[in-house]
Amino acid sequence: MNDLSPVIEVDNLCKSFDGMEVLRSINFTVERGQIISIIGSSGSGKSTLLRCINWLEQPDRGTIRIVGNRIGIKDDGTPMSERELAKMRARMAMVFQGFNLWPHLNVLRNVTEAPVHVQGVAKDEAIAQAEVWLQRVGMLIKKDAYPYTLSGGQKQRVAIARALAMNPEVILFDEPTSALDPELVGEVQDVIGELAADNFTMVIVTHEMDFARSISNEVVFIDKGVVVEQAPPEKIFGNPETERLRQFVGKYR
Amino acid sequence: MTVWISGLSITLGVIAGFGVAVLRNANIPIVTQILTLYISVIRATPMITLVLFLFVMTPYLQVEIDRWIIAVAAMTINTTAFNAEIWRSALVTFSVEQIEAAKAAGMTRAQMLRRIMLPQMGITSLPGLVNEMTLLVKSSPAIAMVGIADLTRATNRITAITYKPLPPILAAAVLYLLIIGTMVWLQRKADKYAQRLAM
Amino acid sequence: MKLYDWLTVWLNIDRVMLGFGVTILFFSVATVTAFTGGCVFVYLMDGKQNILKRSLRSALDVLRTLPFLIVLYLLYYGLPQIGIRMTSWTAGMIALSVYHASYYAEILRGARVALPQGQMESAKAHGFTPFQMYYRILLPQMVLRSGPLFGNLLVGCLKDTAFLSIITIYELTAAANALQAVYFIPMPAFIIVIFLYWIISLILERLLRLMGRYSKHRGLSYE
Repeated sequence: MNDLSPVIEVDNLCKSFDGMEVLRSINFTVERGQIISIIGSSGSGKSTLLRCINWLEQPDRGTIRIVGNRIGIKDDGTPMSERELAKMRARMAMVFQGFNLWPHLNVLRNVTEAPVHVQGVAKDEAIAQAEVWLQRVGMLIKKDAYPYTLSGGQKQRVAIARALAMNPEVILFDEPTSALDPELVGEVQDVIGELAADNFTMVIVTHEMDFARSISNEVVFIDKGVVVEQAPPEKIFGNPETERLRQFVGKYR
Repeated sequence: MTVWISGLSITLGVIAGFGVAVLRNANIPIVTQILTLYISVIRATPMITLVLFLFVMTPYLQVEIDRWIIAVAAMTINTTAFNAEIWRSALVTFSVEQIEAAKAAGMTRAQMLRRIMLPQMGITSLPGLVNEMTLLVKSSPAIAMVGIADLTRATNRITAITYKPLPPILAAAVLYLLIIGTMVWLQRKADKYAQRLAM
Repeated sequence: MKLYDWLTVWLNIDRVMLGFGVTILFFSVATVTAFTGGCVFVYLMDGKQNILKRSLRSALDVLRTLPFLIVLYLLYYGLPQIGIRMTSWTAGMIALSVYHASYYAEILRGARVALPQGQMESAKAHGFTPFQMYYRILLPQMVLRSGPLFGNLLVGCLKDTAFLSIITIYELTAAANALQAVYFIPMPAFIIVIFLYWIISLILERLLRLMGRYSKHRGLSYE
């Protein structure tokens, strides 16, 4: 589907945990080919927001549409079953902070497992595709290795290949480099940067400011559950409007 | 009936198991081999088979032994083997530093065993030992084979009279549930206790 | 005296082998059924708790608290009273399978609880349905993690087959008993039979060690 409609539309998203409001009426849109970074301090709700998009967290109120289809709630207002949710999630992909590779499968299997069993792709085709993506992230030589032999950076790159193999409409990144040793952060950022250059639609939650600045075409700043500012990176980092954002960005100079 | 026999076997078994474990660890040439073999074979033998074996062996060897003693003997032999393994694991993982400290303080091996090692090993092994006790009670119906008035045997007798087996079986089931249930509860307590002392 | 006894056993070795075969048959079928049953039980008990799932869990707990013989008796002697009759073989097979399935379920449940939340999330995020997620991602890991614990269970199941002799199934222990009753040769008969039990358990242990190495190779076990 290569039309011009937005990939993700979030409307009036609200979510509370144990009575505490984590997200308060969030509105934003992700157009095709856009790369959006979500930044904010810990506890601002940015991870929760991302996880609502693929319904790993259930919002209390609001609508989320993925390429025009509402996720989580059917047209008649009843909640979606796990199977229906699975179908919608098959069109997106997520890269986790903790990598979450499947330890009982080798690298190649990790990348082909979802395409073969969720999307019904033929095995040979899946393997061929997987090798292309693994080559892309620089992990083809390790295709027969098992996750426990890999470093954090290598695992994350495999996770990215795994996400790409789904041919997703959008890739969601949940703090992809937060769990990595400093030396390994660069290799993962480089891979994501290359994907950005190829016009993949991506939503990245991160607290690496320079990274966000360099690869996104729009940055969303969330504080205490609301979208405080949303603008291209030059504006957010170079000329922040609100006081709160100025404080936040100031800490990272 | 079952309770007495099981209880006796359990007690004897725990003590004997400890003895076997220590003896085996002492590394006396032939003794260690024999004990290891004994443990391995008995752990693989069903309780029924063992009970039956002893039961038919005794008249053959022309010895007259009371059925009760056979039952206790069989269960004790069985549980000792398992307990020996449990004690062994506690023995082998016992901290070397403490042993050295005890040696340096001039303790003999026997003193060391009794004063330093046994108390701690007792606590470490507690969950495993209680677990084995539960298993023993679960296999105790086997002695019904030997015709001892067991819970199970009692249900047989009632059945023979009334031709209505279900109520007595259910009664036996409930009784076992209570006994074993209590033991499982005890085991969980033992687990928590051992963990709390973090040994 | 003794030598002659051994000869008698040898001449009747076919009877022993018949009993051996029956034991192996019951053991294998019951183990496969119990393992599968255990996996199914854990799948059913997974997820948000409700009355059904809690009842299942309680039922399985009760099963594990009972001696096997009681369960066997209930099935074979007790049920006919309320009109359900079955052959000794059926009762034996069902009892063995269901009883041990509850044990497999308990072990697998422990492994399930220990699985990192992230495994489930990454499976969900990639669009796996609950069943697929369970079968392809969670279950393999649960099984590999539990490896050593299955050992005790396997040997336990083997030993429980001996109880079947009480409801007149001609398995290994019954064969030993029959032989010695006819020929008055308790020593050799039982020694051979005990030896056979021993061999099987050694083989099982060996197989389990292999599986342990397999899972270590995938970085899944902690030995």
